Amino acid sequence: MFKQMKVWLVLTTIFSLVALVSSCNKTATNEGAAPTNDATAGETYKSTGKEGTVTGVVAYTGTPPAPKKIDASADPVCGQQNPNLSTEDTVVKDGKLANAFVYIKDGTTADGKKITAITFATPTDAVTLNQKGCHYVPHVLGVQTNQKLKIVNSDPTQHNIHPTPKVNQEWNQTQPNGAPPIEKAFTRAEILIPVKCNQHPWMNSYIGVLKHPFYAVSAEDGSYTIKGVPPGTYTVVAWHEGRPTGTEKTMQVTVPANGSAKADFAFGEAAAAAGKPSLEMMPALDVPMIGRH
Amino acid sequence: MNKGVHRFALLVACATFFLIIAGALVTSHDAGLATSDWPLSNGQFFPKMVGNLFWEHGHRLVATTVGLLTIGLVIFLFAREERSWVRRLGLVALAGVIAQGLLGGLTVKLMLPLAVSTAHATLAQLFFCTTVSLAVFTSSSWTKNRPTIEEQGSPAVRYVCAAAAVTIFLQLVIGATLRHSATWDKPLPTNLLLTHVGGAIAVTILLGSAALMILRRQRSETFLVRPAKVALSLLALQLCLGVAAYLTRVASPNDPQPLNPMVGVTVAHVACGALVFATAIVLTLRAFKVLRTHEPALVVQSSRSLEFKL
Repeated sequence: MFKQMKVWLVLTTIFSLVALVSSCNKTATNEGAAPTNDATAGETYKSTGKEGTVTGVVAYTGTPPAPKKIDASADPVCGQQNPNLSTEDTVVKDGKLANAFVYIKDGTTADGKKITAITFATPTDAVTLNQKGCHYVPHVLGVQTNQKLKIVNSDPTQHNIHPTPKVNQEWNQTQPNGAPPIEKAFTRAEILIPVKCNQHPWMNSYIGVLKHPFYAVSAEDGSYTIKGVPPGTYTVVAWHEGRPTGTEKTMQVTVPANGSAKADFAFGEAAAAAGKPSLEMMPALDVPMIGRH
Repeated sequence: MNKGVHRFALLVACATFFLIIAGALVTSHDAGLATSDWPLSNGQFFPKMVGNLFWEHGHRLVATTVGLLTIGLVIFLFAREERSWVRRLGLVALAGVIAQGLLGGLTVKLMLPLAVSTAHATLAQLFFCTTVSLAVFTSSSWTKNRPTIEEQGSPAVRYVCAAAAVTIFLQLVIGATLRHSATWDKPLPTNLLLTHVGGAIAVTILLGSAALMILRRQRSETFLVRPAKVALSLLALQLCLGVAAYLTRVASPNDPQPLNPMVGVTVAHVACGALVFATAIVLTLRAFKVLRTHEPALVVQSSRSLEFKL
């Protein structure tokens, strides 16, 4: 009887361990994937010479939250490199918002093709994410799927880079000072992947991954330009971070051949409360990104 | 009974308690992945411990010390302890600390999956419970001959103590799951939070009842009264710390980084939870050692069996 119990105990332990390990294997799901860019096959886009642009300004109405001072005493090098470290989640200058990620979500080209069904060549040049003064530069960036992301450590201290995607492969890699750049790529479209440094918990960044090149990040003056857009009618989305998830605003634009479409967005409490159209063409819609990341 | 063995067991239990605090500091600082290496940190045994690497590598150093102390305790037990079941318990502790180290490595390599992180935090409490039990079993107060006390009243105190210890363990598992479900910059999941609050109510009722029953029924028995009083004091402290931990943790997603008040209070809550569990274990072991219930039903059963046999 006792022997039988022992056998069962051993079997149960082995089974539990196997179950535990198998449950720990993170498998990628489609949750949080950018809905427009997962086409795996389709014709490769060739320039017609009639491409246009989407331009605009991202504004912030109301009083923006004041940046919070960061205590970098845990790593004295950070304090020396960047004595004025503060949060970068809402960077506003003269009512204009920086670091908003603007991209084409879906739509149809003038010749009737879904933008999601078209394949765009992967750029050969790498996008750089720098760790400088114990913060990420740039704070928000975009890459195409499979495009090289080069991560550089310019600080005289060690960092670790830890993207926490929902649909791409998660990874965490230490990068000591003076170490060569790390090169990575994301294989699936995802809006947006938070990146953190587990050594310096205030460091965060966001990477938008799309299968097409139609995205931009708003500059300090809130302006952005998306170039090389095939003529057509599209849904343009502006995303701005905010804990825990971030906020999206969307609008429709029509890009004429060799022309430009304008899409201005407004974030901020005043814009949300007033509910006023922030665009000349269509009102921007507030879409909280619940469950995205 | 060997005083040296008891003192060493006590040292291991204290070191384990310190290790639990070190582990809680890692979780509260979100430092678990401060290095992608394991068991070394950035390929070194003594890396430059700056930023969150201080907490993560510090935890590893304390864990290594506890592992070595546990090996020492097992050697000590096999050299000096006469009771074979105590020696076997020492081996269980050794297996526990090895498994705990491997689980710690797994959390780093698999990038903190909830199941593994929770298992790591849970096994920490079980290992602590084992070291506390070893300290109890090797103490002179345990080995001393004590008269058996007949339990009066119902329910039996020792079963209430055991129920309290099991409930506290389950509450620790829920707490560990809650802590590892969201980092400092994300809100805690409401369902788990409410479950944890429900668990706190259950623990308060069971441990409070057990301690009060002892204080009423066995008031002259210091062997039981002392841990009962400690349990009540720790329970009150733990409830206060729980409220404080909730208030600081609710505010933390708006902070630019894990701030000291949140870290200090949540770590104190984890540490006090471990002490409540340890006290409940001591109380339960002692209650089962000295308390007996007069069970006439058993006598009747025995005599019936006897009659049947005859």
